[in-house]
This record gives sequence, structure tokens and C-alpha cells, in this order.
Amino acid sequence: MALTGLARARALYEARDDRARELKAQGKRIVGYLCYFAPPEILEAAGLVPYRIRGDIRERVTDADQYVEPYGCPFVRNTFDQAVKGRYDFLDGVVMAHSCDSVQRMYGIWTHYRPAAFTHMVNVPHTVTPASERFFHRELGLFKERVEAFAGAPIDDRALEASIALYNRTRELVWELYQLRKSNPPLISGAEMLEVLIAGGGLPAAEFEELLREVTAEVTSRPDGPGAKRARLLFYGCINDDVTLIRLIEETSAHVVMDDTCIGARSFLGRVTNGGDPLAGFVRYYFTGFQCPRTYRGTDRSRFDYLIHAARQFQAQGVVLYMLSFCDPHKLDLVDVRRYLEDAGLPSLVLEDDYTLTNLESMRTRIQAFVEMVA
Amino acid sequence: MSELRRAQKSLETVRRAKEMLGTFYRRQERRREGAPLAWCMAGVSSELLYAFDLPWEWPENFGTLCAAKQVATRFCEQAEADGFSQDLCSYLRNNVGYVSRAVELGATPPEAPGGGMGTPTMLLGSGSICDPRIKWFQALSSTYLPIPVFHIDPMSPPHDVDPRDPRIAAHYTELLRETVQDQVAFLERQTGRRLDLGRLRAALANAQEMIALLWEIQELRRAVPCPMGSEDFFTGAVVPLLFMLGEPEATEYFRCLRDEVRDRVARGVGVIPDERYRFLWMGLPPWYNLGFFNAVGELGAVFPIETVYYVGAPVEIDLSDPLEALVERSWKRATWIHDWGAEVIPENCSPSGFSAPGTRLIRQWVKDYRLDGAVMHRTRSCRAVSWGQVHIKNQLAEEGVPSLIFESDMADPRSWSQSVIMGQVRGFLGAVEASKREAARA
Repeated sequence: MALTGLARARALYEARDDRARELKAQGKRIVGYLCYFAPPEILEAAGLVPYRIRGDIRERVTDADQYVEPYGCPFVRNTFDQAVKGRYDFLDGVVMAHSCDSVQRMYGIWTHYRPAAFTHMVNVPHTVTPASERFFHRELGLFKERVEAFAGAPIDDRALEASIALYNRTRELVWELYQLRKSNPPLISGAEMLEVLIAGGGLPAAEFEELLREVTAEVTSRPDGPGAKRARLLFYGCINDDVTLIRLIEETSAHVVMDDTCIGARSFLGRVTNGGDPLAGFVRYYFTGFQCPRTYRGTDRSRFDYLIHAARQFQAQGVVLYMLSFCDPHKLDLVDVRRYLEDAGLPSLVLEDDYTLTNLESMRTRIQAFVEMVA
Repeated sequence: MSELRRAQKSLETVRRAKEMLGTFYRRQERRREGAPLAWCMAGVSSELLYAFDLPWEWPENFGTLCAAKQVATRFCEQAEADGFSQDLCSYLRNNVGYVSRAVELGATPPEAPGGGMGTPTMLLGSGSICDPRIKWFQALSSTYLPIPVFHIDPMSPPHDVDPRDPRIAAHYTELLRETVQDQVAFLERQTGRRLDLGRLRAALANAQEMIALLWEIQELRRAVPCPMGSEDFFTGAVVPLLFMLGEPEATEYFRCLRDEVRDRVARGVGVIPDERYRFLWMGLPPWYNLGFFNAVGELGAVFPIETVYYVGAPVEIDLSDPLEALVERSWKRATWIHDWGAEVIPENCSPSGFSAPGTRLIRQWVKDYRLDGAVMHRTRSCRAVSWGQVHIKNQLAEEGVPSLIFESDMADPRSWSQSVIMGQVRGFLGAVEASKREAARA
């Protein structure tokens, strides 16, 4: 019997590229993307299958060291290591964005040593100004042209509108699932939610929509959701594309009820304005409003108001701040964000990792102590 | 700490740098009570600040100074105690720690070299080169110094986008032009003065002359024996190039430097008496131990060219509209750099006068500078400059040129290990020597 709902999400999460390989075998062209500044709506509207490139936290980086430095974002190094090992050989294209130094610089190395039929980097300014918004708008226009050239046909306006509408529907469904985390206990656990979102990154949007509907139906009707736990936490920080750490937190008697990470609330909440100029909608969603710390948004700590708001909305009692080694944008926000949370009465716990999770036991102890404190 | 030593400068002009570049080294004299003072990042056009007659100081340069005076560790530790990760740029940690300590004391920290930095009224940042630079002044302002911040934010085309395509050129130069115009508007608001276009034109003309002189010096450094090594470049060329571009005394200084280097070439005088190895230097230098270059020199090796603070060939600009000339210079330089292979260099479109050389240019240098190899300094806290060294090493290996990569940091001496690093250098020299002997026999 075919799997559905959470079981299907877990299977897709574990066998991360199976569906993409199946689609490839059916003649579809798969385009991998790192980070979230290049709208996958454009790829999908051109008839391509967007695939969110993941790392594999369980796989030690070995082969990449022949081409890149050991000091650098461990997530980005890990993804490249997998490319070198042939794990991404099903990709027809690779799209990256100038999301941070690590990705910007990796693009040159990746395309040099592992060229693909289609490669493109979307450049992203560091500051939000009218001039930088205009630049990003033009940049997306150039990206769309390159995608059209690779796809072999212009992207029809209606196809792009339909793609935006489809992605917006998935975002609305994700938000509905997030709403189910507001109750106590939540109806869906943080680990389950992350599995669903990661699974969605390897699917065409229509299939992701279907999966989300299945999961919503399941979690709203199941009798045995996450049981009572002692605390409710918000998970903030660097990319986390593996559920191990969230599971660990939830095993330690705390619900992860909300997040502010890029495979989470940052990427899936809100909606792209549809109708009119679609690129302008993308600029607002993927640049102006996208809360990645790589973008300079002034010096006032009120830039973290959205985080306090999210914590309050989901009744989080504390915040886990997840920091990967060498992540300059996040680490340079860390002092501000901790103080701002503290001023708002929200205790925080910093968990540092080098994208190996080799220190899980010491993390467990620290999480237990944190839960004791906030509960 | 005794293993760390200052550089023995070879050139007389470099030895006289502090005297010849007096307005930079006596920066306290530039400050005026109650008047605006900017802290700037490399990447901001010095010419523009000069045109505003705005005194400015450079936290990055202060980091190198603190490193050279062996006090950077104190400030880095202070920043770390405040919650700034040891992963972060050591220039940044040095500056944050310095400010934190100044705020704590309510006065300039007594250990600060040169009397410390002036109290700024604005922070002028730049989005070029690396991420931490866009976040640094944000953290500084929100945590310690609540003063206005402005970042210029030019972008550069990726290596596989042709900057000579008119649409691409228009796309990038429009952002560059707008970000410079926004910067001018910010400076006009902060200083209460209008931009003096005549003064900007004069500064750009001076800068053009200085860049041409530096290019001449870099070409002269091809000579055997090498007339000027990295120890003189880092101690004598970086300050005027990065922080005084456009100022008449900096141009005059470079003229003297060019004359001295030219004279050395004519007389066949080299940096070291018995030059046996010529190496490319890649990466930031260990500012707390520039004597490292002398130590390597004592083993018969010289560094005739560096990848950092690279200016490249002069480009022609039309000074009739000086602001547009600044845009034109930035873009033409970015295009020149891009032509030589930009797959591993950071953003190279910047109104300042330097960038990094492309991969193909480095391969060309092997012939032009008769290089026996490359020595690369992998700086743990500056990934932006270190990134790409493995790739360049691979590229040079295709030319049969060996490379050594060793690890440390540019301003934080805690990661320096003299015995380990010199052991690596000696081992590398042995391998280079063996390969030279083999080549001679073949």
C-alpha cells in the first residue's frame, strides 16, 4: 500500500532524492538550488523540476577537501562534497544565489569542478534600499531569461501566475500546519513538521501540496499526537536540514512549536503577490521581506520584532539559537538577538555545531538544563 | 611572544613612510573637536571623503596596527567575552573589543597604540569583499555606538557572466552609480556640506597617478633579483593604497617608491643577497609577525608579488564628471579583474582601489615573475580571502608549480606557531630545491 501523510513525508525525507530521480527517468529536467533567493516558481513555470539541495549531516566531508578550504560554512562544504561524490548526478542544472560568502564563492568552485548543463547564480545585494531592490528585480529578469533559454521556450505569463498561485497554496497549507502547533500539546511535532518541509524540497510543488493536505488531514484526526511536555521552544538560527537535533529537543521534554530558520518559517510563511508584475512580488518576498541575517536591515534591534512576535504567538517559553561554525551573518547577529530576547523575557540557549552533530550528548545535557530553567 | 617580530624593511622609502605620510600617521591632528569623524571600511572611496574634507579613520587598519603592536589579543578576547565568536574576523573582533573596552573605561584604552582611534560620528561600511563587513558596523552601532551607518553596496558579476555585455554592464553600473549617489547624499546630510566636485576631481586625478605608479612598481618587481618583497609591500604600500588614495602626499610617496625600486633594478640590487627562490604570496599577512618574511628571506626566498590588495592595470577615466568617473573606474577595474578569471575571487567591483587577481592572471605571474612556487596563508578568521587557495594550488600544480598552505590568522596571534610554520616552510623549500635540481638535470 502506498504511503500517505506523515509516513510518506518520512519516507521522502529519508530517501531524499528518489522522487527527483524518478522524474528524471520520466524525462523531466531537474534543477537543484541552494538557498532561497532564486524563486523556484520560475523554474517550475518553465516546466523544470526545482530540487532543494540538501546536505547530509551523517556523511563526513572527505572528497571536497581536494577543492575547497576546510574553513567555511560546513553545510555548503557538505553539499559540495556530495556533488563531488556523484550524489547529485541527477541534476541537470544548479542554481545558487549570493546568499552569503560561502555560497557565492562555492558557486565558482562547484561549476568549475562539477559543471552542469545549466548553471546560474542570482546576485543579491546586501542592503535593502530602493536601488538594491531595483537591482534584484533586474537580476530576476536575467534569471528568468536564462531559465527560458535552458527550457527552450519563453515562460508564459499565465504559467508563471499559476506557478506562483501553486506555491502560495503550499505556503498557506504550511501555515495551517504551523497553526496546529499553537495548541498545547501541539498537534504536530517540530520533527514531523521539519520532515514534511524537507520532503517538500525534493518534490514538484503540486505533489508537495498534496502531501501537505494529507498531513493536515492526518494530524487533525489522529488520536495520538505529541504528548504533553514540559516546555515550548522556538528554534532559531542557521540552516537545519536534518531532524536529529529537533528530535533530541523533543525527547528532552520540550515541544519545538515554532522556528525561524530557512527550511521553516523564513521560507514557507507569507505569500508572493500574484498579478501585475510577478518579479516585483518576488523582490518583496525573496529579498525585502526574507529574514536572512545576511541582509543588512539597519541597526535597530527592533529588526527582531518578528521573532518576539512569533514566540508570543506560539507561546514559546524560550529560544534555542542554533549556530553553525563560520556562519558570519548569524554569529554577528547573535549578541543583538540574545539581548533582545532577554529584554523581552525570553531565555535563550546557544547550540553550536559544525554540521556533524557529533556533540549530541553534550547538547542533550544543555537542553535538559535549559528546559528545567524555562519550564 | 618573542618569536613574533616586526619586518626589517628593505627600501629606504618604506622606512620613511611614517614621516612621508604624516597626515595619516598623525591622525589625531586631523580630528577636530565636535566635528564629524567617520570610521570607514576598505572599499569606501578615500577620494570621496577627501572631497568632503571629512576626517576618517579605518578600523581594519587599526586592527593591523594593534596586531603589530601585540595588543590585538587583548581586544579580541574582550569581544569574545562580549559574545562575539572566535570564528569571526579578527579585525572585527579587535575593533569591537577596543570599542567595548573604551565604553567600559569611558576613555581610550591605555594599551591602544597611537593614542587609539577618534570617537566617530558615523560609520561608513561597504558590502564588497565579505559578509562580516556588512554586519560589523551593524553590531558596533547597535551594541556600543549608536551613530548613523551607511553602507555602499556595489555588486560584481559572477565568473560566468560577461561584464562586457552592454546589458550586464548597465545592470551593474546602475546599482554602483546609485549606491555612490546615496553615499554622497548621506555624507552631505552628516557633514552639512555639499560635495566639492573640484576637490573630488583633483583627488581622482591624484589617485590615477598613484595607481599608475603602483602598476609601474609591480612591473619592476618582476626583475631578478627582486627589488621589493612582500615585507616592504605590506609595510609600505598598503596604507597609502587603501587609506590615502587620492591624497597628494600618497601620490608623492609612491613616486619616491617607484624611483627607488627603479634605481634598484638598474643597479641589480635585490631584497636579499642570495636569492634562490621566488614565491607568490597569497592571503593576508600575519600583521603581528611581518618579520616572518625576513625569516623566510634568510632561507633564500623572496616574495615579488602578492594576491592581496592587488590594484591591476590602470584604466582611463573621464574626469569631466568626477562622480561618474568614480563609477567608471570601479567598473573598468572590475571588468579587467574579471577578464582574468573570477571563479574564486570575492566581489571585485568597488570604488576603492584594490581587489584580488583572477586565476588566469596568477598562472601568468608564474612566467612574468619567474616564480618557483606559492606560499599561501590560510587565515582561519578571514575565509573571504583564504577561500580559493586550494583551487589556485590546483591551478598552479597544472603548471608544475608547487604551493605551501599554512594556517594562522591575520591579526590574532594566538593561532601562530613559529616552530610548526617555519618547519613547514623549510620542508617546502627542500621540496622546491629538489624539484629545481631535477628540472636542471632534465
